[in-house]
Amino acid sequence: MACNPRNPRPATIFNNAHGQISVYGDDVEVDYRGYEVTVENFIRLLTGRVHHDTPRSKRLLTDEGSNILIYLTGHGGDGFLKFQDSEEVTSQELADALEQMYQKKRYNEIFFIIDTCQASSMYEKFYSPNILATASSLVGEDSLSHHVDYLIGVYIIDRYTYFVLEFLENVHPNSKNTMSEFLAVCPRSACLSTVGVRKDLFNRDPSKVPITDFFGSVRPVIITRKPIEILEIPKRKKQAPAENKTKIVEKMSYLPQFPVHLVQTT
Amino acid sequence: MWIRFRKILLLVSITLVYVVADDFKEEIFIKPLPPTNLYVYFQFITQNEETSFEHSHLAPRSLGEIMSRYQVDELHLTLTEGQWRHNKWGYPILDASSGAELYAWFSPSVTDVDTHWRKLSATLSGLFCASLNFIDNFNTVTPQMAMWPMGAIKVNKNVTSQLRYATLPREIVCTENLTPWKKLLPCESSHGFAALLNSRMIHNTNYHSIGVHVRKICKVEDCSEINLEIKQTVALVYDLKIINSLDWSFRKLFGQGLPGPCPLSSSSKIYVDVSSNDTFPFKLNPLPDSVVLSQRGGSDTTLAIYNIIPTNHMINIGAEYGTKDKVLVTIPPPLTFNRYVLGYGKEFGGIVTEIKNNYWAPIDIVLLENAPWWLPIQLSSLRINGEAQSKLVKSLYYSPGRSRQKPYHLELLMRLPSKSTTTITIDFEFVFLKWQEYPPDANHGFYIGSALISANLPTARNYTSLPVTGSTMDSIINASKPWYPAIFRTNGAMVSLPTPDFSMPYNVICLACTVVALAFGPLHNICTKELVLKAVGSPISLRQKIMNLFKKKQD
Repeated sequence: MACNPRNPRPATIFNNAHGQISVYGDDVEVDYRGYEVTVENFIRLLTGRVHHDTPRSKRLLTDEGSNILIYLTGHGGDGFLKFQDSEEVTSQELADALEQMYQKKRYNEIFFIIDTCQASSMYEKFYSPNILATASSLVGEDSLSHHVDYLIGVYIIDRYTYFVLEFLENVHPNSKNTMSEFLAVCPRSACLSTVGVRKDLFNRDPSKVPITDFFGSVRPVIITRKPIEILEIPKRKKQAPAENKTKIVEKMSYLPQFPVHLVQTT
Repeated sequence: MWIRFRKILLLVSITLVYVVADDFKEEIFIKPLPPTNLYVYFQFITQNEETSFEHSHLAPRSLGEIMSRYQVDELHLTLTEGQWRHNKWGYPILDASSGAELYAWFSPSVTDVDTHWRKLSATLSGLFCASLNFIDNFNTVTPQMAMWPMGAIKVNKNVTSQLRYATLPREIVCTENLTPWKKLLPCESSHGFAALLNSRMIHNTNYHSIGVHVRKICKVEDCSEINLEIKQTVALVYDLKIINSLDWSFRKLFGQGLPGPCPLSSSSKIYVDVSSNDTFPFKLNPLPDSVVLSQRGGSDTTLAIYNIIPTNHMINIGAEYGTKDKVLVTIPPPLTFNRYVLGYGKEFGGIVTEIKNNYWAPIDIVLLENAPWWLPIQLSSLRINGEAQSKLVKSLYYSPGRSRQKPYHLELLMRLPSKSTTTITIDFEFVFLKWQEYPPDANHGFYIGSALISANLPTARNYTSLPVTGSTMDSIINASKPWYPAIFRTNGAMVSLPTPDFSMPYNVICLACTVVALAFGPLHNICTKELVLKAVGSPISLRQKIMNLFKKKQD
């Protein structure tokens, strides 16, 4: 998307028409892009029902200890979110996918953010435990954009995303901020829509959950002072020594780069 | 003292062994393309002593594991944005078709090549963040004549059946492809020439292409031992008119100077082609370490060479042009080509490939046309210079496509007469796709990949490719050969398939439901209920009824 020919500043996406923060850094990696972004691929990714040739980077390699952050934005309505302007995921499909994840022990906790019109309709159908969800607008409300970039001729960022980014710019791996601060990041006066929050599925009090549980990829480390006894050192299988065959050296050479033999015969 | 000396000797020998095991070289080749363009080509060559990847010092293990797991003998992957203009810019060192292009030769021991090919493309899509997993049998061809392995291969084995070739002409190349590409380098992007590859600067060029090329090369003269060579390339073409000045420097091109060589490289060199200095005089700053004249196939090339050694300041090589506003007539290279789509309407069309031989001698070429299954080309409609039968064709291969399974594939071995233009036309018809098969932006149009032209050039004019036996830039110096083989890609094309009205199913559902609702009620009533006539007036008495009965009998 950043290198779309219509982007006058290739390889960059800014949060602001003045180009303050480039959110598309110099070392970004994208796993699904272009036509790969489909509802089917999204649900497959969540539930882990991917084709067996799928590389590791295109799988969600999570287990019951993993915290997952899901951020969705785009055009949405009451109970659906559009993908690629041609299909949509419904709130029921999403809720069922998350339930599958729970049953398969694919997560510990999920933080779900959605920034669309009538966004809160997307999380209302959730019924699996340990999900904290927030949305940029309630049902019946539009989610509004922040400002227009005349260089590309479209609205550049949504209000909710703009204020979330502004807040997250000051979060670093050692921050003491809590999730409740994040949930209150965009008051109605700034967002012009009511930010919806759903806490009933979440077991912990958001005001006591550090924000680094979901942002900054900070991994909890358990320090143990007890020595761990490793009973057996797994030995590497040694390759069977090559049999004493007389090794036939197959002759190798460079080939001509053009079918010269076909030209000469004719 | 002696012991100490022996220790040093031992250390030296250890480092020597280390150096011998793996070798890394980095090079930049800069060629001004008058009047206003500049070609910058990076190549990073890693040579691995062992072809198995159990141990590697500098070669990327992630790539090596893919090579050994899928038994790939040779691999070429390029991700390109923009179109190389052969008639204006001459020939690049390595040509690439726009979008993603992947081709590989599998080891002769692989029997199920198609499965390995699909797995290889899926794995590479994860490694390079590209949509290469869209490569499947329906867009893969096996070139019969156009492509030959660039590496050393076992003699007397059928190489063609082990080859697979696919392009994705619509693939967009961006930072997410460059990031994993840089990670394969021993110094990554922190040191060495790769530090210049600033994503914002290189994606702002007219043409940019990143590539990975893995092949086997002969270690010794008789090729009894082989090395694995991993070559990572970046080709960029800047349009200096945009900067409004012909003068260029590293700071202008890459946004920063060169911090020095990669400490792990055995050689870090920058070559500047200063041949155009005679017609378009410029001055290099700083001055090069040496200037070499290369005579190759009757054309002279002057190369200014910089040997980059560690320094504590940024190296900023640049050129300053003396005279400006000079009109230059560029002499086109020996072989130029053009490709376009014919026809109007949504039923029939045609693809034309025009190949022009500007040279005084005939040139042999192989043309590979590769049309997706939804654009059926028929061999019967093939016309060369307007004629169905042509003496120019020396050999022909055609493999018809199959719907949703196999693309159409045509290969022509031709001898182009001297100073001539050959037009190859083939007709196609448009196919209706199934509703779900259209991409989300079906009205944007559908891309047809470029045609491949493999040429056996008799002259080295505008030819910059390395000889097959060489891997570094210095192998082009005085490398005269009887033939200069090269593979070129023509420009791609775009067609608009007949697209349905995607909201039609909703309209049909709405209309059909209305019609059914209107029709169903009365019809149901007619079919299930009996119509009975009911007498109007006062109820009939019993006596009257009996009278009526008699009346009927009388009738």
